[in-house]
Amino acid sequence: MIGPILAVAAALAPPAPSTAPSHTGGGAGGQAAISAALTDTTVEVKSDFRGARIVLYGAVFDPAARPSDVVILVRGPEQPVRITRKQKVAGLWLNSRPVVFRGAPGFYRAASNRPLEDIANFSTLRRLGAGVDHLPINAPAERRIETRYGVRDVVVYRQGADYYVWRRAVVRLKEKAGLYHEDGRGVRFVDRGLFRAEIELPTGAPTGVYRADILLFQGGRAVSTRTRTLTVKKVGFERALYVWAHDRPWSYGLASMAFALVAGWAASAAFRRD
Amino acid sequence: MDIYLPIAEVAVNAPLIVALGAFVGFISGMFGIGGGFLMTPMLVFLGIPPAVAVSSMAHHVAASSTSSVIAYGRRRAVDFRMGAVLAAGGIAGAFAGVELFRVLRLLGQADLVVAASYLVFLSVIGALMLVESLQAILRRRRGQPPPPRRDRRPVWLYGLPLKMRFPRSRLYISVIPPLALGGFVGVLSAIMGVGGGFILVPAMVYVLRMPAGMVVGTSLMQIIVTAGLTGVLQAGRNQTVDIVLAVLLIAGGIVGAQFGARASSRFRAEELRSVLAVIVLVVGLRMGLDLFLAPDEPFVLMSGLGG
Repeated sequence: MIGPILAVAAALAPPAPSTAPSHTGGGAGGQAAISAALTDTTVEVKSDFRGARIVLYGAVFDPAARPSDVVILVRGPEQPVRITRKQKVAGLWLNSRPVVFRGAPGFYRAASNRPLEDIANFSTLRRLGAGVDHLPINAPAERRIETRYGVRDVVVYRQGADYYVWRRAVVRLKEKAGLYHEDGRGVRFVDRGLFRAEIELPTGAPTGVYRADILLFQGGRAVSTRTRTLTVKKVGFERALYVWAHDRPWSYGLASMAFALVAGWAASAAFRRD
Repeated sequence: MDIYLPIAEVAVNAPLIVALGAFVGFISGMFGIGGGFLMTPMLVFLGIPPAVAVSSMAHHVAASSTSSVIAYGRRRAVDFRMGAVLAAGGIAGAFAGVELFRVLRLLGQADLVVAASYLVFLSVIGALMLVESLQAILRRRRGQPPPPRRDRRPVWLYGLPLKMRFPRSRLYISVIPPLALGGFVGVLSAIMGVGGGFILVPAMVYVLRMPAGMVVGTSLMQIIVTAGLTGVLQAGRNQTVDIVLAVLLIAGGIVGAQFGARASSRFRAEELRSVLAVIVLVVGLRMGLDLFLAPDEPFVLMSGLGG
């Protein structure tokens, strides 16, 4: 709960330092800046984990009080996506060759105070990877999609409408799983210059380090940026099991199977009397 | 009462999973099958990744089969020698099956092979078993005597070398057919993520001609070995075994299996077979239906990069 308090304190500060930027900035009214903090910087995944809601607070400092837009981009650790399409072959619906998209974040959320396309133009959004349509998953993939025929890896050049259908499918399926989300009303200004946004992590959110970029837009350009990190990690019993299963898979497998067999024997022994 | 599964990375309703384990355990104990062909589709329906469902289920199958095989053993309804021969074939089959599955995943056609195997094997076996058991029931109702046991000894069963005595089953046959049967079931168990009981039970009755009373217990014994091996291999090679999920399923399964094993002695063998046939047929057709119906969402995300 330290986050919001810090943010509020920062928001109260502007009157004093505002003279300094306006001094250096000359007649234009000085540099605008943005500041933000998360209520939690670590999310612990335990047996009762059902997703989490992180609150992001921040403030816009602009002595000239120009119209400002705030865009928040949260990206989870990168996870390559392997996707296949069902096709009708001789009356049967079969999987096509899978296509691999690299560079896709495991979690993505774009929040802004108004729809992204109203805030900045296409190329700016594309460059920043702002919005699910501008995720950088196409940048390397457009030039080189890895398709797997048979057991060999084959590199194919693939562009055009078909490619965008695949790309949209990735986003659609990820949105369905609650992993990708774009909210054109996700940032709310609660007071002059003070804003708030909520980041909702689903249960299936990948573990790892998340990066939250908080951008201040004025006149369609990003004028100030802050970056915050968020760590999602398994703790306690869950972490111990996960580490065991991945670091010593054979002993984990043998132990869990031994448990299964003993449990079966124990049940049989317990039921013997009656 | 939701609980987070550390390997599957999803939250599930714990009492629901325990109840599912108990239900499948009951079916397993009653019919002498692992129940994997029922459990896998249900777990996937509940949102658990298929790879984790298949692997963790092997533990449930092993536990509930152990629970009921001991119950059958007490009634002297297990042919341990036949079980060991089948299991030997099953071990070889499971290793081959895991490799085959890996290649299929690389080809991106694992889903197709799984769906097609379910459709073909479950439907054919379910239909054959249903016809046979209904005929037996009808004959009994009409008071007709059972058809004379065909004493024609098939060459491939009795003519092959390496003959072995199976005193409990009162058989003196070549070990090659049971070994081959065990191997075939082992391959299927790795591909379909099932114990293979639904194939083993009818094959033991109709092909190996074992006495009906021995079939269920012996089939369960082979299933323990195959499921146990598959479970360890999946954990070791793919890290897809979720012990929390397995514990929940086992908690229900071992109790359900006890009641199932007890309930089975109250019904006639052919009536049990007819019910099993219907279950097998319905699941097979349902799984195969996906091959023929136009999907709502033509794209499917595949977990992991697969090899």
